[in-house]
Amino acid sequence: MALSGSVRFWKQQVLPLLANLRLAIVLLLAIAVFSIAGTVIEQGQPLAFYQANYPEDPALFGFLSWTVIRTLGLNQVYQTWWFMGLLALFGSSLIACTFTRQLPALRAARGWKYYQRPSQFEKLACSSTLKAGSLGCLQAALEQRRYRVFAADHTLYARKGLMGRIGPIVVHVSLILILLGAIWGSLTGFMAQEFVPSGETFKVEHIVQAGPWSASHLPQHWSVKVNRFWIDYTPEGKIDQFYSDLSILNQQGEPVDRQTIHVNKPLSYQGVTLYQADWSVAAVQVTLNRSPVLQLPMAPLELEGGGRIWGTWVPTQPDLSTGVSVLARDLQGTVLVYDMTGKLVSTLRRGMSMTVEGVTLTLVDVVGSTGLQIKADPGIPLIYAGFGLLMLGVLMSYVSHSQVWALLDEGVIYIGGRTNRAQITFEQEFMSTLAELVGGLEQPMTQLSV
Amino acid sequence: MDLVALQNTLDNGAFAILLVTTLLYWAGVAFPKVPGLAVLSTAGLAIGNLCIAGLLGARWLEAGYFPISNLYESLFFLAWGLTTFALFAERMGESRLVGAVTAPVVMCIAAFATLTLPVGMQVSAPLVPALKSNWLMMHVSVMMLSYAALMVGSLLAIAFLVVSRGQPIHLKGSSVGTGGFREGRLNHTAAQTDPLPGGASFSSASGGTAVLTPVAAKEAPTLSIQRLTLAETLDNLSYRVIGLGFPLLTIGIISGAVWANEAWGAPWSWDPKETWALITWLVFAAYLHARITRGWQGRRPAMLATAGLGVVWVCYLGVNLLGKGLHSYGWFF
Repeated sequence: MALSGSVRFWKQQVLPLLANLRLAIVLLLAIAVFSIAGTVIEQGQPLAFYQANYPEDPALFGFLSWTVIRTLGLNQVYQTWWFMGLLALFGSSLIACTFTRQLPALRAARGWKYYQRPSQFEKLACSSTLKAGSLGCLQAALEQRRYRVFAADHTLYARKGLMGRIGPIVVHVSLILILLGAIWGSLTGFMAQEFVPSGETFKVEHIVQAGPWSASHLPQHWSVKVNRFWIDYTPEGKIDQFYSDLSILNQQGEPVDRQTIHVNKPLSYQGVTLYQADWSVAAVQVTLNRSPVLQLPMAPLELEGGGRIWGTWVPTQPDLSTGVSVLARDLQGTVLVYDMTGKLVSTLRRGMSMTVEGVTLTLVDVVGSTGLQIKADPGIPLIYAGFGLLMLGVLMSYVSHSQVWALLDEGVIYIGGRTNRAQITFEQEFMSTLAELVGGLEQPMTQLSV
Repeated sequence: MDLVALQNTLDNGAFAILLVTTLLYWAGVAFPKVPGLAVLSTAGLAIGNLCIAGLLGARWLEAGYFPISNLYESLFFLAWGLTTFALFAERMGESRLVGAVTAPVVMCIAAFATLTLPVGMQVSAPLVPALKSNWLMMHVSVMMLSYAALMVGSLLAIAFLVVSRGQPIHLKGSSVGTGGFREGRLNHTAAQTDPLPGGASFSSASGGTAVLTPVAAKEAPTLSIQRLTLAETLDNLSYRVIGLGFPLLTIGIISGAVWANEAWGAPWSWDPKETWALITWLVFAAYLHARITRGWQGRRPAMLATAGLGVVWVCYLGVNLLGKGLHSYGWFF
């Protein structure tokens, strides 16, 4: 009893409320308004930013202080529980509306009836009576206008554009698919970032964000080798494009795939996609006198101007008591060498040598590391399916569903029709059809009445 | 041929023609009986449309890519879209009011692009690397066409609000078929006439009924078509043009999301332009739903569409003021 009671409560109270069109409009506009808030208030800034820009006193508009922003989550509107709740409510409203309104309306549109009494035509705005003429002529005229005509004894029904009734249903279903895809993706997807020096192999480990069920999508059984990372520069010295030559290695370390990626051209392997996202200077390779090539890691240095520069220290004495600082700004193959006092000693290009305190320092290369963004989003197929259906659905929804009825009763032809969307066009079509029938009377009829 | 000189002639020419066209439309509304005004004003709008098309074509030849990458080019593309949809709506509704409300807006856009925009922002410049993609043409052109359609639809909603002042309103057209039924009781007299409006600029295709009337009016029972009034025509036109802009906006947003996902792995990142496109979509979705809502009949849907006009402009230009990014055209103050 309790179960059937709750089912009844659900069916009679909750469903109609969710399917209420006013709720739908309020939801659409509420999502719009909160989205606007997210574009006006800066999103995802550090706390100090809000404290500086939205002071408690005087508060903006008398209420918008940083504490209000923090409490309501207006600093990250699109991730708050209440925004998610609005979207969830919106999704429920879509589902409820599809079942309680759209499908019954489609059934009603498909299940047409002939009109059997003249009075049935009176309710139609587009209706008329003809003293003469025949249903056969009307049928021909309507078929010429691409109607599908059903004719019976003394009566006729014609329709076209039934897909205009199906379109909105497709739109709603596709929106539900997109929402489900987004939820599925956030539960099962992950995002990771890796900085990998040229020539090294890595496994995906630095997970930035992962859904609770994402474990199975994390690449366990393969790793990636960065064969080479390089930057193409324009003649003016500006960055043209970043490239990473990547190999996918299986558990045995054998390469199974190899591609060069750049911005706008990622690599996908087993549902995981690697995007070229960033870069950095990883190391400098030098030789000292006749030493083998030494690879010294470089560290990013804080710059006041906000630019990027990397540096390392090269010892010039066996006891490491003296040395030089080597700085690199980019991967164009030039480094700056400073001595212990902080004085610029030399600028070295790739392959060039210099002598410091009796030691010959040769710059072999500057090694870059590629910044890769690694993502798996299992919701994407669902979202793309939703996108495809949504485009189809909105286009179908432009089509107007037109219906025409006719009845021959005591020598008078009653004609009436209506359409759901294109009423101007339908009115013109209706009148031209009538004009054709009336005009056609003057010529001999080739078709007799049904 | 000097493409740059041609462009200068065409953009100034487009502005001049649109100015004259606007005046012709207004004269046509004020003096509906003057012969030739209807043909002249429609021809003016069509010539303006062709001038802008020529301007954009010359740009395309000169720069080598589809010309909607800076503010000047996108304004003219918008103007071209507006004139195209205005001509489409004018043909559909056979109403000169369409041109009377859209031509001045197009003229202002052309004037702004030609006269106000600094010359430095008018010349074509090479594309930044992130935009060098085949998706650019598809995404941006569809978005701009949707803005144009939504703007024409919203302007028609404003015209509807003006024309229907003080009248009872029966909405015409919606997904459930609002307005297909006869209003009021049918009166069974033989002499029933079409409630054609005495409206100045509504030239109806009355040829059909003129032939019919003698036949239909001979004896009872007779039925005659309850014709759309001027206000109802504007309402349905506005609904149809917005109904065309909405799918375009949907396709434009989707193409942007797919591009972003293929290039950067994130279909949606809530950047201001994306968010405002979504807001536009939501407002017009609310408009489409308001038309089928019992408590929202009357003027409210048209008011929503009017608000939508503002939202489209914020989405198109206002977002530039918020800052930089791939979606910014740049600004000049």
